[in-house]
Amino acid sequence: MPPNFVEDRRKAALEVFESEPLPTWRRSGFWTTTVRKLQLDQLEPRRYEPLEELPEIVRQDLGDEEHAGLIVQRGASVVYSHVADERIVVMPLEQALEEHTELVEQYFAKRLPYDEGKFPAATAAFWTGGVFVHVPKDVQLEHPIQVVWLIDEPGTAQYAHTLAVVGEFAECKIREYFVAPDFEGQALHAGAFELYALPGSHVNLAHYQDWGSGEVYDISTRRVEIRRDAQVKWVPIHLGGHLTKQTLDIITAEQGSDMRHTGMYFTERDEHLDLFTTDKHEEGHTTGDTVWKGALTGESRASYEGLIHIVPGATETDTYLQTHQMLLSPKAKGDAIPSLIVEVDNVKASHGGTVGELDQEQIFYMMTRGLSRAEAVRVLVEGYFEEVVQRLEDPGLEALVRTRIAEKLRGAEQQVREFIGERAEAA
Amino acid sequence: MTLEIQNLHVRTEEREILHGVDLVVKRGETHALMGPNGSGKSTLANTLMGNPVYEVTDGRILLDGEDLTEADPDERAKAGLFMAFQYPATIPGVSVANFLRMAVNAGREEPIKVKEFGRLLRENMDLLRIDRDFTSRYLNEGFSGGEKKRAEILQLAMLQPEFAVLDETDSGLDIDALRIVAAGVNEMRVPERGFLIITHYTRILGLVHPDFVHIMLDGRIVREGGPELADELEDKGYEWVREEVAAGAS
Repeated sequence: MPPNFVEDRRKAALEVFESEPLPTWRRSGFWTTTVRKLQLDQLEPRRYEPLEELPEIVRQDLGDEEHAGLIVQRGASVVYSHVADERIVVMPLEQALEEHTELVEQYFAKRLPYDEGKFPAATAAFWTGGVFVHVPKDVQLEHPIQVVWLIDEPGTAQYAHTLAVVGEFAECKIREYFVAPDFEGQALHAGAFELYALPGSHVNLAHYQDWGSGEVYDISTRRVEIRRDAQVKWVPIHLGGHLTKQTLDIITAEQGSDMRHTGMYFTERDEHLDLFTTDKHEEGHTTGDTVWKGALTGESRASYEGLIHIVPGATETDTYLQTHQMLLSPKAKGDAIPSLIVEVDNVKASHGGTVGELDQEQIFYMMTRGLSRAEAVRVLVEGYFEEVVQRLEDPGLEALVRTRIAEKLRGAEQQVREFIGERAEAA
Repeated sequence: MTLEIQNLHVRTEEREILHGVDLVVKRGETHALMGPNGSGKSTLANTLMGNPVYEVTDGRILLDGEDLTEADPDERAKAGLFMAFQYPATIPGVSVANFLRMAVNAGREEPIKVKEFGRLLRENMDLLRIDRDFTSRYLNEGFSGGEKKRAEILQLAMLQPEFAVLDETDSGLDIDALRIVAAGVNEMRVPERGFLIITHYTRILGLVHPDFVHIMLDGRIVREGGPELADELEDKGYEWVREEVAAGAS
């Protein structure tokens, strides 16, 4: 019997879910994210039996990299888990409620209110399986902890919840993969993620999203809390999804905490991406550094809004946010907005950004060295993302991301060439 | 076997900059093109490489008889033309070594073997006295002016083109760096290769002795001669040329 704190939250969340209409997110009057084409009542959580072996698509993405722990949720069920390092816990959240009740109760949904809208409420009410990660005090892991969310059939609704707790002075890498093969039809991933990095810990966290060309909607909230003198390097990677609406918050909650937040997105075809990130400084003497880079091809739409929020009392905060966006097609539309809310004096906070196209000077320069225009574009875009990719500090995942960027560029080669050619003509 | 520039007229969107330039550089020769700021020297260099900012409205560029006037920059590079940029572009995320390998391979049928590339790179870096850790830095990102110029000459040394244009490679270099760069260029002066050295000052010409000197003014070559012309210019300055041209025109 699940503990009351979970059941009570489910009931309360269900009420919110039932009373809230389908949301439309509007910003600045001209940017709208709507899910009106999503046929929510046609989707269902699908249960699956445990697997002996990893599904092919998961094996491909993970490669032969060693892991400290690996857990895979397919649809509504955890189908595979393996813990290579006995010092840590990696298990379904449902199971952790039984076996690690006290620890889970202490952190579960601490930063994830169920009443933040229809989809967070749905996630809180309907999540199944789930993932619990615990790296105890002083444990240092060499290999990453890998969490995989797999949707491999249209018609699937996946309500996800991951709770990760990294103990004092522990050091680890945690990766979540969100993958789907190319399929015809709709699916939904409504996810919740929370990480608590306890004092003195160091976490390298990555989210790798590649939902393929199916009509996958991803509406998720991810929050990271960093405690005293802890550091989290967070690298969200968005490489595909029909419609993505995500709220990503990273919070320096105690003095001496440090965030390195480095993300990227590459949208194509008619994909729609809407990201809102907040670097929140709740205490003084904390530091932050955020870089987001995006590229758009096809008729895709990508909006990134990055907020630095420094609350009253958080003096001596030192933080910086920059956002870059590169348009590679005349029909793509992008928007990248850095913003600041600073409610205290004596802080250093700044932001900057660029939205633009490929630089003709750079292309000309590379061509004078014998590279064709298409090669020059490929090298420039790969180089542009390299700063983000290297922050993964994970050769296997880095290689995967580089390969996918190269594939996307090959796929878009014709339109990019036409676009660059037109720009060159116009110049 | 020559680089031939015939009656070249070049304009930007706003105005015509080159008003009929003729210049012939044979292999084995080193030519200096001198002129005050704004005389059109860099425009000529960029036009030779096919910079899309400049439009050729009349005249031709021939390399060993092949007409390159309308060719894309990468075709010119493959035909054997090279330019060391005055202000090279920054290429974030691409290391010097990676970029050099791509550039070397662009001019070859088969990719260069890793060992051979490494050996070639080390040799040329030693020639130009470049630190080994230089090659892992992103190309031109955070480089000082001198480092950028050396990276350009390193590319020249790695690519071994048939004709090389050095666009104000000397400007911004201190005398030690200039000596190193000049020694590198002298090393590459062989009978199979032609050089066009574009400069505002005569300083580099004391280290890399040209066979011919051309002076450009307001988009035209107005004086031509041997190395002594550079000395005369050093003594009398560009105003002298301007006055002479004005006198000749009247």
